[in-house]
Amino acid sequence: MLRRLAALLVLGVVPASAETSDISAILDGHVMPGYQTLAAQAEGLASAAQEDCRPDAPGLRTAYHAAFDAWVGVSHLRFGPSETEDRAFALAFWPDSRGATPRAVRDLIVQSDPVADTLAGFQTVSIAARGFYALEFMLFDPAFVQAGEGAYRCGLVQVMSADIAANAQAILTGWEGGYADLMRQAGANETFRDRNEAIRQIFTALSTGLEFTAQTRLGRPMGTFERPRPMRAEARRSGRSLRHVMLSLLATRDLTALLSDGDPDLDAAFARALDLAERMDDPVFAGVSTPQGRFEVEALQSAIDDIRRKVAQDLGPRLGIAAGFNALDGD
Amino acid sequence: MTDRRTFIAGLLATGLVPTLTWADAGSPAFVSAARRADGSFGLCGLSTTGQIVFECALPGRGHAAACHPIQPEVVAFARRPGTFAVVVNCVYRRESARLTAPDGRHFYGHGVFSGDGTLLYTTENDYDAARGMVGIWDVSRGYARMGEVPSGGVGPHDIRLMPDGQTLVVANGGIETHPDTGRTKLNLHAMRSNLSYLDALGQVADQLDLGELYRRHSIRHLAVGSDGRVAFAMQWQGDSAARPPVLGLHHRGGQSGLFDAGAQSRAEMRGYAGSVAIAPVGHAIAVTSPRGGVCQIFGKGAFQEHRLPDVCGVAGLNEGFMMTAGTGRVLYRDRDGMGWDVQHACAWDNHLISLPAI
Repeated sequence: MLRRLAALLVLGVVPASAETSDISAILDGHVMPGYQTLAAQAEGLASAAQEDCRPDAPGLRTAYHAAFDAWVGVSHLRFGPSETEDRAFALAFWPDSRGATPRAVRDLIVQSDPVADTLAGFQTVSIAARGFYALEFMLFDPAFVQAGEGAYRCGLVQVMSADIAANAQAILTGWEGGYADLMRQAGANETFRDRNEAIRQIFTALSTGLEFTAQTRLGRPMGTFERPRPMRAEARRSGRSLRHVMLSLLATRDLTALLSDGDPDLDAAFARALDLAERMDDPVFAGVSTPQGRFEVEALQSAIDDIRRKVAQDLGPRLGIAAGFNALDGD
Repeated sequence: MTDRRTFIAGLLATGLVPTLTWADAGSPAFVSAARRADGSFGLCGLSTTGQIVFECALPGRGHAAACHPIQPEVVAFARRPGTFAVVVNCVYRRESARLTAPDGRHFYGHGVFSGDGTLLYTTENDYDAARGMVGIWDVSRGYARMGEVPSGGVGPHDIRLMPDGQTLVVANGGIETHPDTGRTKLNLHAMRSNLSYLDALGQVADQLDLGELYRRHSIRHLAVGSDGRVAFAMQWQGDSAARPPVLGLHHRGGQSGLFDAGAQSRAEMRGYAGSVAIAPVGHAIAVTSPRGGVCQIFGKGAFQEHRLPDVCGVAGLNEGFMMTAGTGRVLYRDRDGMGWDVQHACAWDNHLISLPAI
């Protein structure tokens, strides 16, 4: 600290932001490990599907959960390599408000479409038929685990898993092959013209990730009081809905700690939300249709909204990201 | 000020009802919603010198407004996804009617009157079908709902009347939202924006699609020149490190294209345009970015850039533009970049709307 202060005095400048988050620490401690884990777990999923493609094969299911967990752990980091060639959407096509995923997967199976015979062919199908949510139908939905030809289904599970692995690897290669350096060397390139732009990008990912968890992961099954929509819960077929909320809270808590230099107040807000989530005995938010169950989900959503408020009002300004009346409101 | 207002009130009592005009409301040139110094929300009329000529309370934060072409009446829309809009009588400075979105619909914050002022058109979301709609309201029957037609796409935002006085042009932003999930974008993986022209029968007569490269570019705000050219402002929904142009121009049956003043000026806009306007004289086009805190003006062979924190509202005035910001600032800049600044104790909301006569 003393050394940094001395350096500032010599240069005679005051940093634009009161807090100087270390971009390299965020990359090395959060982003890169997250995408490395995803690539490794997705590779494990592809191998497990090769070994035993039956939907209830324990090895396949374990690998599926591990890889999906790894995805949720980076699902807030939606910029750069994940957005190139729609890779993130091809991994995670959700919410699927029009039911495009079951329709596209069913079409493949019913027609035994040979496009899925090879990885290259499969990568040309609708992104609704690709990724974790499509594979979930193949492994967990009774209407799909017996549809069409057994051999075709097996091949489809394998090619879906191989596609997930290839996509996860492509995102990691993008980060390791240059994008992380663009962020580290913010100011020396056009993508991030100064350090503040790189911080702003990470901050946006954090707020968007929290918003997605509160408004979509919880908001969609909640629906309205008059019309709750439990069937819209994320990954309910595999029983993962609440798990996704918790994993995303853990991941954004980690990122918040790095961005805020371990702010105890922010961390306590995450702890409160996680505590509520841990105490819920409702893995797929089926209870949103009952007063008590709905109350619990609402309480969790409020706790996440509280984090969002603190992030926007406390953390943002400290990072030099001022909230504007119009700039941060959208239209 | 005795005035025509008091005089008219007297006449009203006698049953002799003269027609109120915009002059009775202080001859505003523009209107804008604002958050006032005391934290309440309102609608203000502004003169060509940036002075407030009338003010009226609104029940919540406003977004855009539609000015009646003849009567001193403004429809102020709540920010999306709002289910009501307030009709403000600008002479008496009070609410004279209220529009409530029908069941299963919400407003997107923009609307426009027909050329003769008998109808109001509003952009709406048929959210369970994820279908954009244009609602039609009968002004003479206290803004009763008359009907609706599809907008030609998903997530319509701005809507304007073409110079022929009949055709509507709609910015279908392409983004699906549902009130259950606030402003969460539900279809970015499949989104497709377009500019649609609706004829007098409500049919899509013409449509501009930006193609695969700009599939994630959401056309949201419009300005129509007296020559029928449509300037459209966009908001990029793809990778945030990409900084595509945010301003385009479409000429039905003619050429269209995007404005690009180089990588540096594209970067200034942060892929996000807030408002767009065309100058009535000279037809320069201005586009604002509240996120970049900048207003860029594309004139004939000339490019200007004005820095103004949280700028969003912009409207054409003579050969130049008036701009409004969330900081309360109002600026005018002419074609040479000269002008004036006025500071108000309020936060100007997204849009500065020209009165039809200006």
